[in-house]
Amino acid sequence: MTQGANHLCSHCSLPIGIRSMERTLNGEECVFCCYGCCIAYQVKIGRSEEWDAAWLLIRFGVGAFLTMNIMLISLLLYGGTFGGADAWLLPWIHVLLWAFATPALVILGEPYVRETWIQARQGRITASALVVLGVGAAYAYSVFATIEGSEQVYFDTATMVLMLFTLGSYIEAAGRAKAARDLEPLLAAESECATVTDGGAETKRPVRDIATGMVVKLKPGERVPVDGVVVEGESHADEAVITGESRQIAKGVGSPVIAGSMNLDGPLLIQCTGAGSATRWAQICRSVREALSRRSPIQRLADRVVGISVPVVLILGALTVAYWAQTMPFDRALLIGLAVLVVACPCAVGLASPLATSLGIGRLARSGCLLRDAGTLEALARARLIAFDKTGTLTSGRPRIVGIESDGAGVEEILARAAALERHSEHGLARAVTVAAAKRGIAPMDAGKVRAVPGRGIQGEIDGALVAAGNGALMRDLGFTLVPDLAARAQAMEESGYSVIYLGWAGRVHGVMSLDDTLHAEARATVEALRQLGLHVVLLTGDLAPAARRMAAMAGIEEVQAGLTPEAKQEALTQYRAKHEIVAMVGDGLNDGPVLAKADVGIAVGSATDLARETAALVLPKDGLWILPWAIAVARKGWSTTLTNLMWAFGYNLIALVLAMAGLLQPVLAAAVMASSSLILVVNSLRLSQIPDPALLESDRQAAAEPGSLRHGVAVPRVASAAVERG
Amino acid sequence: VGNWSGKLPVSYYLVILAAGFAGSFHCIGMCGGFACALGRDRRGRAVTAERHLLYNTGRLTSYCFMGVLAGALGEAVSSAHGLGNPLLNTPLDTAQRLLAVVAGLLMILMGLQFFGLLQSFHRIGNIGFGGTTLAATFRNLLSSESRAAPIAFGVFNGFLPCPLVYAFVAQAASTAAPLSGFLVMLAFGLGTFPAMLMMGGLGQVLTPVWRQRGVWLAGGFILVLGLITLGRGVLPLDSHMTHALATGAH
Repeated sequence: MTQGANHLCSHCSLPIGIRSMERTLNGEECVFCCYGCCIAYQVKIGRSEEWDAAWLLIRFGVGAFLTMNIMLISLLLYGGTFGGADAWLLPWIHVLLWAFATPALVILGEPYVRETWIQARQGRITASALVVLGVGAAYAYSVFATIEGSEQVYFDTATMVLMLFTLGSYIEAAGRAKAARDLEPLLAAESECATVTDGGAETKRPVRDIATGMVVKLKPGERVPVDGVVVEGESHADEAVITGESRQIAKGVGSPVIAGSMNLDGPLLIQCTGAGSATRWAQICRSVREALSRRSPIQRLADRVVGISVPVVLILGALTVAYWAQTMPFDRALLIGLAVLVVACPCAVGLASPLATSLGIGRLARSGCLLRDAGTLEALARARLIAFDKTGTLTSGRPRIVGIESDGAGVEEILARAAALERHSEHGLARAVTVAAAKRGIAPMDAGKVRAVPGRGIQGEIDGALVAAGNGALMRDLGFTLVPDLAARAQAMEESGYSVIYLGWAGRVHGVMSLDDTLHAEARATVEALRQLGLHVVLLTGDLAPAARRMAAMAGIEEVQAGLTPEAKQEALTQYRAKHEIVAMVGDGLNDGPVLAKADVGIAVGSATDLARETAALVLPKDGLWILPWAIAVARKGWSTTLTNLMWAFGYNLIALVLAMAGLLQPVLAAAVMASSSLILVVNSLRLSQIPDPALLESDRQAAAEPGSLRHGVAVPRVASAAVERG
Repeated sequence: VGNWSGKLPVSYYLVILAAGFAGSFHCIGMCGGFACALGRDRRGRAVTAERHLLYNTGRLTSYCFMGVLAGALGEAVSSAHGLGNPLLNTPLDTAQRLLAVVAGLLMILMGLQFFGLLQSFHRIGNIGFGGTTLAATFRNLLSSESRAAPIAFGVFNGFLPCPLVYAFVAQAASTAAPLSGFLVMLAFGLGTFPAMLMMGGLGQVLTPVWRQRGVWLAGGFILVLGLITLGRGVLPLDSHMTHALATGAH
């Protein structure tokens, strides 16, 4: 595969089909997916000094002028204005029409002829060949008829079909670009310019040339081009593209800003903390570009249909003319043949799928969800089972205290003493102790001579007496006694998959703290939302069964398989696939890469590198589990839009083709209907860009606003309380 | 056949012409700006005159095209009900009456808008794909020195959303024949010629007060025409009386 840039249309940013148009405009190499985009692009970039664009408009204007005059006269002719006494005028009017039609045909038909010629030299027949052939035949017949002096000429049909085709493709391309305008910033990220200030001087530089330490000036409404720290100014930022969550975050001096987020309401000076091309934003943009340029299976199918349809239509057109010529004058039969050629132009079929999938991919990317390719959108939409990996996915990986068993001491004293030691430690379990103490407002006592005992725990002196916190081995080493009751409870906890910290002083163990991994605040709501989407949710984990079941119960997952090796997880997925066809797997992307790769849709949370490594097909923002139901809903909408688009495109083409072959559709009408069918696809797909931003559930929002209350803290020293708290 | 032109008297088209003239004071707002921009050519008066004539010819062609289409559409609607007879010749059938009512109401709405009423109705001009984008890009054409540029510009200009044009297209449709539709728009378009040519030559000579009066005059014309058209649809008049009403405005 060559560079991704060449696979996307210069105008509408959609993947170009198998037959692209290449043009050099104002010295720039451009690729377009269709003629309409070629026109619309030139109109859009047109500046007065750029001759190409103005020339294009002049050509269309004059073409339209001639065509309208032809149509005007022809309509009056059909109305019988020149009948009766004025009939002697008729041949002269035909000559006049001929005089108008010839330049109109040259002006409007030239791009079609050129396209046909370019493709024909490569041995291909395209849709433009249908137009050229049909219009050419109508014109040639009319010239012949004018010279012969016969009653009917079809200059109006020839020019009007061309005009409508041109106009229709322009309007459709303009609409498509409007639909896809949200994709633009995603595709232009690295070529965008940022204003670098150096003392007093300001220079515009491409983002990829910005290096660490440079100071970048940012106006309100601009996108933050690089990761950095605010050195001057105050503003709000919307970081939806990174976090998935669309809300205003206050920024002041010293606040970090992330590339890709929007600076909303104040000017900022930011100091760059990393190279412009190394940001997550740049990575997002690269992956979107990559995803867009990969064709999905359904797109390949559509392209194949388009490929064979042109010759088929040509044959059908010829057969139609031959059939009708037996029963009616040749000119009428020719006209019916022209209608067949015009109406069967397969533009809509080729457009249906890329339009919907690109908009879907773009919509997801704007909320920080990255898809590997268009095929993933389909798989995600059709997935019926979602398997979760436990550690780091449903849980935060940060343990917290869920229970304190004591013997001869109060819970507060235990926490105060434990925190006195543990605040000197960097260990993850130690942090849980200090957080728990702080949460309950317990001040740690003063401890001296604190030292860590590797692999055992930590010990020190409080009021001159030895205090130790750690595992059972540390207690035995120090000769602390443990009453059988407490020992039994501690053992039960350990067997249930909890981590346990013993705390002892004055020769005996006074307390046992049990710690558990923390369920993500949004895990339960996410699982519930997924279930409401009709998905079967299971938990596959390598953890001990009791711990896994406890987490599953808290998250509301009913089906659990615990103690699985990575191979066993893959095996389990294979079994599920037999029953549910398409299975998705959510992991943290670090430990379970091969398992994610094995699923139909591997979903990684927060690790975009997996996209590059191709282990995950969908990457959610960091801590972005809550966004998954929304992402699936978007994927489903994208998929259903693709299907309705395709059904419409195929259905319309078939019905119109039959009508045209039956002689019920006039060529001019056929051209108008043809143009409008593509427009309907655009309108249908536009709904995708109007999907609202994902919203946190209200309860989750509160949880997120008070860090520690659910994610890191401890509420009540009872195991069961954890579940209550979740409810 | 071949007798339609005779059915609507010349005076009818004169009324339209006058309405177009009055209405063109409204045009000065938008299209006048274009005409000014087309401005004077440094290659001399003759070239300037030619450019403005070409521009207005382009505009006129677009109007006439719309008129003939509207007339043909009106005819198609009427004859779909079995009566293809020309307007005002025989008792009007239901479809033609309906057409007259719709056209009349549209014109009345447009007319009221000229008096600053029904502001929200103004949005009707902004439906569709990028009318403003078009207007912006068409400015490119103005600076081109090509002879064809003004004509192309005029053609596009004719299609820019404009309530005045819509009102007369509705009128053209209500005549229910391609030729009369064409003539309605021709008369209207020619009516706008003086003001637009003047704009090219004189620039902003008219004071805002006079422009405002012109706009009210245009609104009045359209309102009256709308009422007459509506009347044709709802009043149980015979053809002669309708005839008299349609021509009685002068």
